[in-house]
Amino acid sequence: MRWALLLLGWLVPFAQAADALHLYNWNNYISDATVARFEQACGCKLVQDYYSDNEEMLAKLAAGASGYDLIVPTGNAVESLIKSGQLRPLDKRLLPNLKNIDPAYLDTAFDRGNRYSVPYAYTITLIGYNEQKMRELGLPTDTWAVIFEPKYLKKLKGRVTVLDSQRELMAAALKYLGYSANDTDEAHWRQARDLILRAKPYWAAFNASSYIKELTVGNIWLAHGYSNDMFQAQQDARHAKRAFSIAYATPKEGAVLALDSMVLHKSGPRPDLAHRFIDFMLEGKNSAELTNLIGSGNPNRDAMRYIDPAIAANQAVFPTADIQSRLEMLKDLDRNQRRVLSRMWTEIKVR
Amino acid sequence: MSKRPLWLWAAALAVYAFLYLPLLIVVLYSFNDSRLNAEWVGFTTQWYVTLFNDFDMLIAARNSVLIALAASLVATVLGTLAGLAIHRYKLRLLPMLTIAPIAMPEILLGVSLLLFFNLVARPVLGLELGMWSVIVAHITFCIGFVAIVVRVSLAGLDDSLFEAARDLGASPWQTFRRVTFPLILPAILAGALMSFALSLDDFVITFFTAGVGVSTLPLEIYSMIKIAVTPEVNAVSTLMMLLTLGLIVLASRLHQRSLKAASAS
Repeated sequence: MRWALLLLGWLVPFAQAADALHLYNWNNYISDATVARFEQACGCKLVQDYYSDNEEMLAKLAAGASGYDLIVPTGNAVESLIKSGQLRPLDKRLLPNLKNIDPAYLDTAFDRGNRYSVPYAYTITLIGYNEQKMRELGLPTDTWAVIFEPKYLKKLKGRVTVLDSQRELMAAALKYLGYSANDTDEAHWRQARDLILRAKPYWAAFNASSYIKELTVGNIWLAHGYSNDMFQAQQDARHAKRAFSIAYATPKEGAVLALDSMVLHKSGPRPDLAHRFIDFMLEGKNSAELTNLIGSGNPNRDAMRYIDPAIAANQAVFPTADIQSRLEMLKDLDRNQRRVLSRMWTEIKVR
Repeated sequence: MSKRPLWLWAAALAVYAFLYLPLLIVVLYSFNDSRLNAEWVGFTTQWYVTLFNDFDMLIAARNSVLIALAASLVATVLGTLAGLAIHRYKLRLLPMLTIAPIAMPEILLGVSLLLFFNLVARPVLGLELGMWSVIVAHITFCIGFVAIVVRVSLAGLDDSLFEAARDLGASPWQTFRRVTFPLILPAILAGALMSFALSLDDFVITFFTAGVGVSTLPLEIYSMIKIAVTPEVNAVSTLMMLLTLGLIVLASRLHQRSLKAASAS
């Protein structure tokens, strides 16, 4: 009978707190400790819903979903939300901690003057690799060449995966060719396509999610992917006590940086709590907790002293000024460019 | 038991293995002492401990069960009525209307329901999206399944049974209660279970119609995919499987009891 009571207790809905802030966020994108402290500080409840993809979040909002106070979209998704008039301008007087943000991450192309967005965290699209294997094979790990050049790839045949993303893979190829990741010259795109096609026979797969596991298990020795994922793979390999270790590095030619920002949705009923949350997350300690949890890049200068030294020293997460100058955020493509790119992508996939 | 050729047994075994081995692996790996679903490391119940401390996941599971219970209950009643009406009156439009939500692509149904809720429910009834909107959406696509099953079961019955009941003086309600209902009960139960299962694992429609703060298990698990799914998901799946299994056993018990009651009276 007791289990029946337990079941019943679980089925009866919990009483809703009177004050609640609704955050539409990526899964595992805030530390539980931070949430608990914020709830204590504001005497309210932080209710989260999750999305796994910017497009997914945009689609839901475009169809008219409402009630979210805060969202944490990536750069170009912020831009589409601004353009479609879905965001509420920030009241900077309520955000004294904004001064903690590194100016390099402010005033970005997607939101000039930060009228709507406050940087939260970033990832870099880079290469993660099996340290022992790469050393054994005498391969470089600081350049995109290792992903694209057959002379390196022939030692890695079937052991490499690249991201299953038109923009990301194209950006990597463009960077390797010495162009901007946002280059839209069709001739340059064709060059990039040819580079990709030449390398494709050596790749094991286009992969968007399982490369963390493949790297950790040892099936894959080199992967094109996001810095957060590589951090995860590194931790997993360590915990599983593998004979090898996973490392990651930003190629010297430069790479794509994806900056996630906090924005206020117009439909949110509690902009007051939302501002409070943003300012709370701008405190170094709170911001650092996220980096310590998932290895994300941190745009907060005040956070550095709270960050695990091993992560703070990792140049793939906190790039040197030299590399930083070669990181780019992806801009939205117009309809025509998108069509051209899709056609090239199809050519790449079917060949 | 009559003798059956060996190959028949082998084929049956292979089919069952194909159906149940993946489920067995899910259960097995929920006890695996590794964050990766890749290889067997050692036995642990750690993931169940993690699960019972994971408030988000528990709430999502609870929401899923509540929604599935409510949606399958209402859909079963409405679907049974629809099935009876379709069988009795040979209407042309009704079957089409009931079955349309099944045939329609989920994404279309999801988006149009969200638009409908936003355009009608909010301004007219003053209701914000919430759990109710998910339940209504699930009822919409579950009715069709129940109606089809009930209708098929009615088509397999001899209509003279009902005529005989009426001849012997039963009122329409008595005919339904004593004759029709017991005969189609297995179909109703099958429809209810199907609705429950369909509601429990629906992603697309739930994604669009869920209000703020209402997450279900499929939504929760899907949002974890980017960061790799941990055995915690296996643990919660195992518990859900047990729950579903329990419901099926319960349903078949009820069915047997009702058969006995019917034959006794």
